[in-house]
Amino acid sequence: MTTLINKLYPCNHKTIFVLDHSPYFGISSDYPIELDPADKSRGPGFIPIAPIFKSLWTSTIEAVFEYCRIVWDLFPDRKLIRVILSDVQAQSLNLWSQEEQNLVHCIYSLTTIGSHPPRQNAECSMMYGLCSALEAMCEPTALQSEKLKQEPGTPTKHNSSSGSCSGESASKILNRCRIVVITSFVDPGGVDKLKTHFHNELQRINKVAATSEHMFPIHSCHLVIINVFPCSSKHATTLYNMQYPETPVSPVLSTELHCVKAGPELSNKLSHLIQLHYDLASTTVTGIPMKEEQNANSSANYDVEIFHPSEVHAALLKGNLADLATIRAPKPGQSYDTITLRWCTPRSSLAEMHAVTCMHRVTPVEVNSRPSSCLIHFLLNGRSVNLELVRRVGGKVISHILTSHGGDIFMHTLATGRSILEDPPSISEGYGGRVTDYRITDFGILMRSNKLMSARRVSTSDKVNEKVKTKLERQTMYWPLTISATYIYNNKQLFEPLLTLVQKEEISDAALIQCNQCVYNLVALEAKHEPLVPSNPGTRGKGPKRDEQYRQMWSELEHVVRINNRSENHAKLLQTLLEFKNKSPHNASSDESKHTKIELNQALRELDIIKDMTSSSSPGSIERASVIRPTPPTPSMDSPLSPPLSSRGKPAARGRSLLDICVNRSKASLHRSKRADFYGRLNAEQGPNGNLVSKLYVDLVVKDEQGERGGKGGKPPAPVVVE
Amino acid sequence: MPTVIALDVSLSMARQLTSPELPEPFTYLQLAIHGIHSLLDYFGSFAKLEFVALTAFSSTCEVVLSFTRDFESLKSKLSQLEECDKSCFDSAIQAVNRLVLSEWGSSTPCQVILITDGNLGMASLTLDSPVFSFPCKLTTVVMSKTKTCHPSLKKLVEAPGVGGSIVYPEGLLSHLSVSKVCHQVGEDNYTPFSAVLKMGNLMNKVVLSPAPIPFTKMSDMELTTCSMSSTISVLGFLEVAQVGSPAAVSRHLVLPQESNSTQPSLVEHEEEGGEGKTPSFCVLLHGALKIENYAALCSLGADWYGILYSCSDSKKKSNLMLLALEPGKHSVPWLGNLQQLVSPDLWEHVEPFPLKPVEKKSYALNAVNWIRQASLQSDIQKILRHARKLPDKTVQFYKELNKLKRAAISYGFLELFDGLAAIFERECTLLPGTAHPDCALQLTFAAGLLRKSYVRDPKYVISAMRTNFNNDDE
Repeated sequence: MTTLINKLYPCNHKTIFVLDHSPYFGISSDYPIELDPADKSRGPGFIPIAPIFKSLWTSTIEAVFEYCRIVWDLFPDRKLIRVILSDVQAQSLNLWSQEEQNLVHCIYSLTTIGSHPPRQNAECSMMYGLCSALEAMCEPTALQSEKLKQEPGTPTKHNSSSGSCSGESASKILNRCRIVVITSFVDPGGVDKLKTHFHNELQRINKVAATSEHMFPIHSCHLVIINVFPCSSKHATTLYNMQYPETPVSPVLSTELHCVKAGPELSNKLSHLIQLHYDLASTTVTGIPMKEEQNANSSANYDVEIFHPSEVHAALLKGNLADLATIRAPKPGQSYDTITLRWCTPRSSLAEMHAVTCMHRVTPVEVNSRPSSCLIHFLLNGRSVNLELVRRVGGKVISHILTSHGGDIFMHTLATGRSILEDPPSISEGYGGRVTDYRITDFGILMRSNKLMSARRVSTSDKVNEKVKTKLERQTMYWPLTISATYIYNNKQLFEPLLTLVQKEEISDAALIQCNQCVYNLVALEAKHEPLVPSNPGTRGKGPKRDEQYRQMWSELEHVVRINNRSENHAKLLQTLLEFKNKSPHNASSDESKHTKIELNQALRELDIIKDMTSSSSPGSIERASVIRPTPPTPSMDSPLSPPLSSRGKPAARGRSLLDICVNRSKASLHRSKRADFYGRLNAEQGPNGNLVSKLYVDLVVKDEQGERGGKGGKPPAPVVVE
Repeated sequence: MPTVIALDVSLSMARQLTSPELPEPFTYLQLAIHGIHSLLDYFGSFAKLEFVALTAFSSTCEVVLSFTRDFESLKSKLSQLEECDKSCFDSAIQAVNRLVLSEWGSSTPCQVILITDGNLGMASLTLDSPVFSFPCKLTTVVMSKTKTCHPSLKKLVEAPGVGGSIVYPEGLLSHLSVSKVCHQVGEDNYTPFSAVLKMGNLMNKVVLSPAPIPFTKMSDMELTTCSMSSTISVLGFLEVAQVGSPAAVSRHLVLPQESNSTQPSLVEHEEEGGEGKTPSFCVLLHGALKIENYAALCSLGADWYGILYSCSDSKKKSNLMLLALEPGKHSVPWLGNLQQLVSPDLWEHVEPFPLKPVEKKSYALNAVNWIRQASLQSDIQKILRHARKLPDKTVQFYKELNKLKRAAISYGFLELFDGLAAIFERECTLLPGTAHPDCALQLTFAAGLLRKSYVRDPKYVISAMRTNFNNDDE
């Protein structure tokens, strides 16, 4: 039960550092800092610079910020830290809000407050900071507020008389937290005094919180006291003996005491504690090839240590103990172990799916060291690094991948055992596996049109995923799986733009004209007995007869229009389609020629109307129509079933297509208009196929030809032809 | 999930039994072997992809055959088993742990089927927690006339993390009843998981192998158990590289089943029918994902998402694979909120993948960090390198100097000012004769400033001394 509570309501959700900012912390740590690098070649006349010393304060704030840096790198949310300075008052560097949970903000606040402890010896006390910390702990964080809202029993209903110290509460959400206080004591009495004061304050504030609307009582607090003293302290041994591990004081409070010398000892202590507080572990990436700083030609191997949640190692720790013994070793100078994994020259990238069992953020332990920044930059530039586990019995296995996702570096743990999914039957052996004519290319287009991105500025009322769902449903209302199951999607140029336009929410009037035109063209095509499917080398044997093809095509087209029937113009399109479909020859086989004639005449009439409309309003649609023009038939191709066009009373020659008639009509109407025709049209010559042809940019072509002379046999560009 | 059959071959299994079904008496062991045959037959029909291993234990435990899908070879090995000495469950558990860990690692859930007469004799069971070092589901088949077993066995199945149960054959101990109970064990634990794979109006019946098991997610202030929905809906598509190999709680083969088309067939076929000849949406989806190198995001239940992709374990064989992400809409940080993914034509403000973290990470900031002496020294050396190249590097020299100064003030590290001043003054004496006069001038000027108290104001910015040499730069 305790472990469950620890996991569900970890006290690392809220951490507050209370730092002693009294004048005493301005004294020197007595830990010497050399300003000259140790390996610097010292020529004659070299005067060594005397070492300088950081104050207790500087070593404290550096170590605390390092702790924060690691936590915020690894846990960008849900693990919150506040820093409070205590001198003659409490001064908080940041709040619980996500915007202030970063180092840039804290350093800015610190500089504004004035980092260096005040020099005057005024009435300073740690209790200012501790009381302020307790108040801060009673503020629910965003996550806690969210969970409290979901809970029926709000903290305000919390029973004040019993709950204040027992941690029992009506609410199931527990407010557990950790306060790390860094100060300086000389005798154990000081520690006890601080503990008692703190415990009293904790009980007092819980009483207040129990009756308050906005405060969330503290159910459990882990108080970590770190006693810092200068390196030169004569009482070091006594101080070390004062230390004690975590001890419960009451159900709501447990404390522990660490005594450390300022300087590296303090920062090492915190980097050890952070691993306990957040369940972290250390990995050393070894054998990273790196160019020497001074000599770019030679390269040496370096190690980089990283911190990450310990789950990264879970599989290794449960694995072969002999292997573990060879890769796990205590980190020199530290009180924790590190696991060494070998850098493996990166080969694979994340462009394929790896069998990843868990992934966690990582951060380098020495953030600005040269090896760290080399590895980091390698990763941030988009490359991945495989990490190898070297086995004792020989052989190695890739156990992890380091990679950056948008500037956030993650360690992916790979499954190293055998996969239970190994050697599965291929999908081609199962149901549907032997079908060879799936519309894979078309499905690719469908996938691309549903390629996802992350939506920004989404309010809670916006049902973004509903939009996606509706779109997918509409696109798949009729979607034949195979090429042989459809006519209309196989010869798209005959059916576009109808197929695209019909899927839209509404069909505009202009679009309706385009759709209708599509239908008319199909009618004309059928009348001329054009095969619906162009010779397809993929299909074996004879397909259905031509009439049958058309019949199936019409019913397919009708189905598509029918299921998309969602606006007035959709209905009109369906009506048009039905008119033609019902008159289509296969529905009236008894008197084919007569029906065909009627049908075609009607199609032509309709086209005339359109032409009259479009020629005055939007001449562009004629050009568009020409895109779907069937190949002009030769007289020999013409069949007895072709429509006798003489009925129109126009001198329409045999062998002219429907479109030719349209174009002629539109030309005629153009001539009738008062507007002067284009220069090109007026100066056009009769082309080889009877069309009027006008060469554009004639001069340009001549010049180009001159210019290109001597080029590599480039053809002169074809003159642009306007009909 | 892989299965380990642990068969008790202790001496008590050699006891003889009679049954009205058979004229000859038979032993407990023969009965157990008969039961295992029934279980293997069940696998042969309903769980062909199951890996089964066989161990036989008495005071020691022997791996008779490690994980295999060849159920016939398992049957032939069974016939060679002989009774040994007393039974010891500890050795069986240790051997199973070793076997599973070496084969599958610690994260693959495995099924352990323990078949025994429930007779521990004088031995008892020492239960170290956790009993199994992998996610385990233990079924104990106890062949006992009285339907009782040793209390240690009860303790074993009730131990935390074991997920165990004890089953007894119904009625008299006979071939029939044992075979029945083993068949029941198969049905209870290896029922194929059927689901419908759906994308808009396209759908296909599928079976997931291995069958998904409910997943319990525990994070800060959140404890939920999710069971996979029987409808897997495709929500949209991503490039495989964008997906970025996220962690999976489980992976499953998606095996298409015969299903009637949900859409009318408007174009008639001449050749019809035959297994594998009816088009399947699942196969089409797999083919397109493979060719385009795409993956499909799908929903697996309330606030639970998965990724469908084409997985090939060799050049010839490939399959549709379902990766179940950790439940929750934020399970892949670089994809953002999975509830808010949309194609760009449907939403005005979209951001491509991978998403950038809100705060830049410390390692990408190049901020000052002087926890180690060496990094302070290298920051100082950097300034000195610029100093030696004055006046060309005047801008860089003062930029780095101000960065150092700002950091020193932030950390209250005022001792650095005097130290740096001393270094600058010494550097002047070390300058070679060929050095530009500006080097000495600017270093002396900067050193002088560093000793002034007003420079320790965070707002004060040190700017270059105007000399005849750098007037042009300013």
